[in-house]
Amino acid sequence: MKLTCAQSELNAHLSIVSRVIPSRPSHPVLANVLLVADADRQQVRLTGFDLSLGVQTSFGAQIESEGTLTLPAKLLGDIVSRLPDGEIVLETSSEDTLVSITSVSGKYQVRGMGAEEFPELPTVDDGQVAHLPVDALIEGLRGALFSTSTDETKQVLTGVHISAETDGLEFAATDGHRLAVVQTIDPESEGAEPIDDPKFNVTVPGKALRELERMLMLNATSGAIAVRFDPGQLVFEWANQRLTSRLLEGQYPNYRQLIPRQFSRQLTVDRRSFSGALERIAVIADQRNSIVKLSLDSATQELVLSVDAQDVGNGREAIAAQISGEDLDIAFNVKYLVEGLKALNTQEVQMQFNTSTSPSILTPLGGMKMTYLVMPVQIRS
Amino acid sequence: MNQARKIIHIDMDAFYASVEQRDEPRYRGKPLVVGGSPSRRGAVAAASYEARQFGIHSAMPSRTAYQKCPHLIFAKPRFEVYRAISEQIRDIFRRYTDLVEPLALDEAYLDVTENKPGIASATLIAREIQQCIQVETQLTASAGVSINKFLAKIASAMNKPNGLFLIAPQQAEPFIEQLAIERFYGVGQVTAAKMHHLGIFTGADLKQWSEAALVEQFGKVGRFYYKIARGQDDRPVQPNRISKSIGAENSYDPDLSDRAAILTALEEVAETLHRRLESKQASGRTLTLKVKYADYQQITRSKTLTAAIDQLEVILSVAEDLLTLTDVDHQPVRLLGLSLSNLEGESLEAPEYVQLSLALELG
Repeated sequence: MKLTCAQSELNAHLSIVSRVIPSRPSHPVLANVLLVADADRQQVRLTGFDLSLGVQTSFGAQIESEGTLTLPAKLLGDIVSRLPDGEIVLETSSEDTLVSITSVSGKYQVRGMGAEEFPELPTVDDGQVAHLPVDALIEGLRGALFSTSTDETKQVLTGVHISAETDGLEFAATDGHRLAVVQTIDPESEGAEPIDDPKFNVTVPGKALRELERMLMLNATSGAIAVRFDPGQLVFEWANQRLTSRLLEGQYPNYRQLIPRQFSRQLTVDRRSFSGALERIAVIADQRNSIVKLSLDSATQELVLSVDAQDVGNGREAIAAQISGEDLDIAFNVKYLVEGLKALNTQEVQMQFNTSTSPSILTPLGGMKMTYLVMPVQIRS
Repeated sequence: MNQARKIIHIDMDAFYASVEQRDEPRYRGKPLVVGGSPSRRGAVAAASYEARQFGIHSAMPSRTAYQKCPHLIFAKPRFEVYRAISEQIRDIFRRYTDLVEPLALDEAYLDVTENKPGIASATLIAREIQQCIQVETQLTASAGVSINKFLAKIASAMNKPNGLFLIAPQQAEPFIEQLAIERFYGVGQVTAAKMHHLGIFTGADLKQWSEAALVEQFGKVGRFYYKIARGQDDRPVQPNRISKSIGAENSYDPDLSDRAAILTALEEVAETLHRRLESKQASGRTLTLKVKYADYQQITRSKTLTAAIDQLEVILSVAEDLLTLTDVDHQPVRLLGLSLSNLEGESLEAPEYVQLSLALELG
């Protein structure tokens, strides 16, 4: 194998696949990146795979002679990222797995492993295909991913549930204390193909979607990307990249029924003022139990935020808000509110309540369609 | 510049075996081990000093111990009793300091730089503690006194049983220089053999080596060897290091090599653990799986969850996840254990704040 490519290209694409390559894999070859030099296409294809999540990315290079091999991902990445800008030549002698990496600065040799043992990325041949508009996908992931659970005992909650509705996509994620639901608008108006099959209804591991989000943002692909899926796997494919992931098994909870339809109290507030105040309150709250108390005062039309972290200190802020309904004191984990307000990207937000122990929801006013439900913290006196 | 610390290491003498001899007069003065009987595949958990004269030591297979001494007494372990005595001893330690780091039921480090009675001499405190232990439990302990954990631990082993040994700051370096390398805490058989091969037999030999050379030979731990060769050990005494845990384990004869059999066995261990949790009304956040392979090599894998667990299905599902991190598919298993730590019990105060949950229906 012999190929010449740009250091910047190799480095950028290595860093994409390296993120999924496990540092302590179940099988040694999985700590490697699979490198395929394709002479017909004059491309290099890199693959990283942890048996659950796989990422493949290609870029143009001058391929003098074809070849396939695997190299320790971390070592290769650490070397290539430090090489000077310019051309790099990768070369192997035919009988050996020793790979030489030559740049203007000098020459390194790295011991690889044969590619025979590297497992192939799963393919979905008989499954269904959907075409998802990239903008909608990014919007949905941005609004839902942060709410996934990290509790590995509740596997299905570590993912985002994505379903195709007649007029767009719906994304949902919950960790059992809060729930984010994002509906994206009709893809036809975005000029993308409509979703072929309304049965698209999957729960995808959060880790895979975080990588997908990152790759889509980096690559600024517009239009639509194809998703092939069967009950166990899903494959996203676009331009020169591909991401495969196993799907999470198990019924995703019926989350829609958890969202109350009616509320007795409501406030409308400037999003930045609200999140700014919360972030300051969080400085003290995080010293103890991360609890912020919200007090709705309809007479003064003020939302009062306060924190009392006993021996650490306390704080209080009041911001103007349109408030309707009876006064209410209610407490939340400040992190849940801060994260929710970050995802709602409108100027104003609405928050609705019933009692201090029932679910509250945050929604944007205008703009995106998102519902963020948060369970309060009950204060026992 | 910091004032030198005063660290004591207390180590009960042949703890389990001594408890059995204390509670059963006809065992006194006789070779005895606590552990599994030789007809099954148990191992020696503790050996009395009489048994040690036959070359019997802990971790030796019971069968080997029996071959070395056919009239050896095998006592069944009574862990509840050992635990209760361990609590008694820790109460004694706390009369002097709250900086107590238990290493096991029968040993602990104490930092008495500052102490409750305001006694200046750490040796005096160590002697008082030994006396209290003897009067209140009728058992003996050995004590090591020095300026750090490494030296205190070596010191406590110098005059066993019922010994007291001080390594004063100015004696530390000469003491270590003459010390045989295998006596160093943290230097096991394999490392000792490698050091011998390199011509390192004593602390003085070790001191000849540069930090870089030790790291090159031994990896990161080389840095630790470099420091201890100079009597330096900055590790603090950490009172909360060992949290209480509740566990269960089983050993298997013959070894288990079939995956289905291992899963069934794991389920049984989980059930035992679950019963113990129920009886104590406890739940915990960290589950640890212990696996001993046929070659006696033992590994643990653990996972800390965001919320405390106590239900059998949850324990089992986490345990099965942990099992995938082991090598049971390739190595036969002779022991499986599960323990839950980071415990939360009924006795703990109800939290003032409760994060409410959504009514999710998980399939």
